[in-house]
Amino acid sequence: MRSLRDTAIARIRVWYARRHGVDALPVKIERRRIYIVPTRFGLLLTALLLAMLVAGLNYSSNLGLAFAFFMTSTVLVAMHHCHRNLLGLTVDVKLDVDVLAGADALFYFMLRNESAVDRCDVEVRLRTASDSPRALVEATRSVAIGGYEEVMLAVPVTHRGVTRFSQFELRTSYPFGWFRAWTYVQAPLTAFVAPSPAGNRPLPAVTAAAGESARSESRGEEDFAGLRSYTPGIPLKHMAWKTLARGGEASVRVYSDLGARPEWLEWSALEGLDTEVRLSQLSRWIAECETGHQRPYGLRIPGIDIPPGRGPAHRWRCLRALACHGMPPA
Amino acid sequence: MKSAAPSATRVTYEQLRSMSVCLALALAVHTAALPLWLLATIAAVIAIRLALSARGHTVPARALRIGVAVVSIGILFLKLHTFNGVVAGSALLSLVAGLKLFETQTRRDLYVVALIVYFLSLAALLTSESFWLLAYLLTVSWLTTTTLLRLTHSSPSTGWRRSARYAGRISAQALPLAVVLWLFFPRFDGPLWRVPSDSRSAETGLSDTMSPGDITDLALSDEVAFRVHFDGATPPAAERYWRGPVLHDFDGRTWRGSVALRGSAPNLTPVGPAYRYLVSLEPNQHNWLFALDWPDQWNLSDAYLTSDGMLVRPAPLSHPIDVSISSHTHVESAHSLTEGARRRDTRLPAQRNPRTRQLALELRRTHPDDLGYMNAVLEMFRQQPFFYTLEPPPLGLDSIDEFLFDTKRGFCGHYASALAALARAAGIPTRIVTGYYGGTYNRFADYWIVSQSDAHAWNEVWIEGHGWMRFDPTSAIAPGRVEPGSDASLARSARLSGPWRQPLSWLSDARLQFDALRQLWRERILRFDQRSQDRLLGNLGVTEPDGAKVAMVMGAGLVLVFIWLTWQIRREQRPDPKDPVLLAYGKLCRKLASAGLPRRPSEGAESFAARVAVERPDLGPRVGVLLKRYSRLRYGAKRRTRTERWFVARVRAFKPRGILPGSQGSRRG
Repeated sequence: MRSLRDTAIARIRVWYARRHGVDALPVKIERRRIYIVPTRFGLLLTALLLAMLVAGLNYSSNLGLAFAFFMTSTVLVAMHHCHRNLLGLTVDVKLDVDVLAGADALFYFMLRNESAVDRCDVEVRLRTASDSPRALVEATRSVAIGGYEEVMLAVPVTHRGVTRFSQFELRTSYPFGWFRAWTYVQAPLTAFVAPSPAGNRPLPAVTAAAGESARSESRGEEDFAGLRSYTPGIPLKHMAWKTLARGGEASVRVYSDLGARPEWLEWSALEGLDTEVRLSQLSRWIAECETGHQRPYGLRIPGIDIPPGRGPAHRWRCLRALACHGMPPA
Repeated sequence: MKSAAPSATRVTYEQLRSMSVCLALALAVHTAALPLWLLATIAAVIAIRLALSARGHTVPARALRIGVAVVSIGILFLKLHTFNGVVAGSALLSLVAGLKLFETQTRRDLYVVALIVYFLSLAALLTSESFWLLAYLLTVSWLTTTTLLRLTHSSPSTGWRRSARYAGRISAQALPLAVVLWLFFPRFDGPLWRVPSDSRSAETGLSDTMSPGDITDLALSDEVAFRVHFDGATPPAAERYWRGPVLHDFDGRTWRGSVALRGSAPNLTPVGPAYRYLVSLEPNQHNWLFALDWPDQWNLSDAYLTSDGMLVRPAPLSHPIDVSISSHTHVESAHSLTEGARRRDTRLPAQRNPRTRQLALELRRTHPDDLGYMNAVLEMFRQQPFFYTLEPPPLGLDSIDEFLFDTKRGFCGHYASALAALARAAGIPTRIVTGYYGGTYNRFADYWIVSQSDAHAWNEVWIEGHGWMRFDPTSAIAPGRVEPGSDASLARSARLSGPWRQPLSWLSDARLQFDALRQLWRERILRFDQRSQDRLLGNLGVTEPDGAKVAMVMGAGLVLVFIWLTWQIRREQRPDPKDPVLLAYGKLCRKLASAGLPRRPSEGAESFAARVAVERPDLGPRVGVLLKRYSRLRYGAKRRTRTERWFVARVRAFKPRGILPGSQGSRRG
């Protein structure tokens, strides 16, 4: 029974996608894209209404019939109101989301209500796996008259790559839970899942710096830019012995001239490793570059060459490149 | 379990309480029909559940729940032997609703209770005709729907009043649709299937025995027996005798009706004009109908005339019915009474009332003619000091003797009884007819109200060559001999019914107007049937309505109502274009746009304010205040005219370039 229903829902979604194509965001929900069916409670109520009608007719009771018809009409009007609860609502969403594997991809939906009535209990639903309809994330909001609401859906992502959701759903069973109105919005929601940082290879720049030690030494102490924690493989002459002697942790001195020169994070520097391991190492390097020192960094992976830069936007650009590596284009 | 489904979420104390209240309100109308222990059980389980919930506990132990359910349903079945029929069904449903509340954990459980509340409301209406009950139950269903709204609504911040208003608006919008459905939905004549009739309620009104010696309180009741509307001529006041049970057999104290035999009275020829009228009878649990003297036509297929001229039905009258009847007030017969009938109507118990027999013999000697004899008896009542009272002294075994010679006080029953005894003692066939006399005219709606205080007893005497003639000995009592306090009798002689006669005329007018409304309700709403439907369709221009035509008319009506509904809902949804706050907001946005700060379509007031603060720090604070005020005016629960005016004025005064230090040039230019 369940699987039959699930199959039906899946069919409807596919058919719907074919019928509507991709929506241009923001979407204003119009009449023809809203579907409405009675809930289980609504079906029970319908059976009850039939029983009321039969009882009223059987007893030839005009008052009984009046009550039965009043309830029937209330249900029909409630159906209108359920439909109306979605009608004219505007929804927008930020389509592309960057996330590290293992965290939650956060999709932000914006519901705007430009009408003169409240929109209550609007559920935003996103199916996270097309094969199992149970796997979904949802959040419910009410949008006041003329107001807007931001709805965040957190989709857990585990694997690096590009995760696409072709549609999301707005649904409501307001006001009485007798009907469920819903609409699908065809929007290519994309989560660029970057590899989570892993690996213990030192930053290539530091190793490169070891070869140019003479030049860096000649700069003297004035170019000293700061300390960073020691990782194996760094030449011992960069060790901050004084700090170590004072009982501090093992650190290396970093010179500002190193910061002036871009750091190139290169695919080719990790020869011999598995693809995902390589990507994770690159991700770690990006994290280190962002948090550690002040030098710009660039990324070179097959097919992509990102010129050096710094800051969150640059970081996510690089991470997205890692996420998209080896993925088929959308 | 699917605990994630929203319908399966836990209910709160408040939700539980309001659904319990709805159930209690629906049960209130069933209290008369339901056994007391059942109501007590339901009240107890609900109280326990509420008390548990108030203390933050969940449902009672499973064993207790099942135990209570099995035991109470078992007892109910043992007592009722059936769950079929309105009363038994309502009892079971009420119990199930109580038990459901007892074990309620999730919203879904309360949904079931709501459905039962709806059905209990309907069940109460099936056997009722009260406008007030309908109004009450519509209110209960509105409250139930409000509770459902609060149950489904996941953000419970809205107040009860707001929920009630929204549910009320939906109910109000449902009314036109309900009216169309009610008017055009096909009606059937009989029931689809028979249901066991419920325990009979008490008989009311006249009975088929009469003991003048007993005390009666019938005359004081202002309960309505029936209402009559005359089509065309109204008979004169002295002819408005509504015949009920005819009594033949006398044991010296009590008169009884004999078995009513089907078949018309022997060869009676109606005399005088025929009166056509509609009788709206209140249920009285008797088989007989009340008609003006001698009915000859009626529109009730199962009603028939007995040999006594009574109109009876095979089943007791348990629901109000309307009958159209045509009657004559007098009959004639050139034939003789059959021997059996003559013997029956001249029989008197041999050992009883010797003085009455003696009197009859003496009178008969001077009045050998039957008609002359009867008039002499009436003359006796007129001349001698007989008094009319509703509190006559009690009488013994020889009730007629005591009344005629000792007490001389009584009401219609005493007089009719005495006259019958005197006539029978003289060998003249006489019977007692009980029924109603007169009535109150309702000038607000052209009908007569006949109430229990109009109950009366009179005689029919067989005069050879004339047939059955009506004699009313009570009317022979002079109005001066009516004892004070016997209001009804006074009314009778004054041709006015008692309870409808109030010391204040506006009060009686108000009562009559109210009764007219009731009658209208009854005619137009309760008696609405296939014929009324055909008439209505005829007025709409549909001739010879059949199923298809009715369906078409109903469909058209439904479409119209749906169009109206859609329009209504659209209108509600559209923001008021004349809203001063909206207009001012538009103006503010235009002013900012001309200053190079257009609001993006996707931007709300608050995010717009934030952007302005970043891009134009000089304007930021002023714009921020305005936009914040706008949000509060738009989304806030209450609107204040003063704030509104303030906002409009400030927007009008707002000049984005006005006090910008860098915009001196533009001010000059």
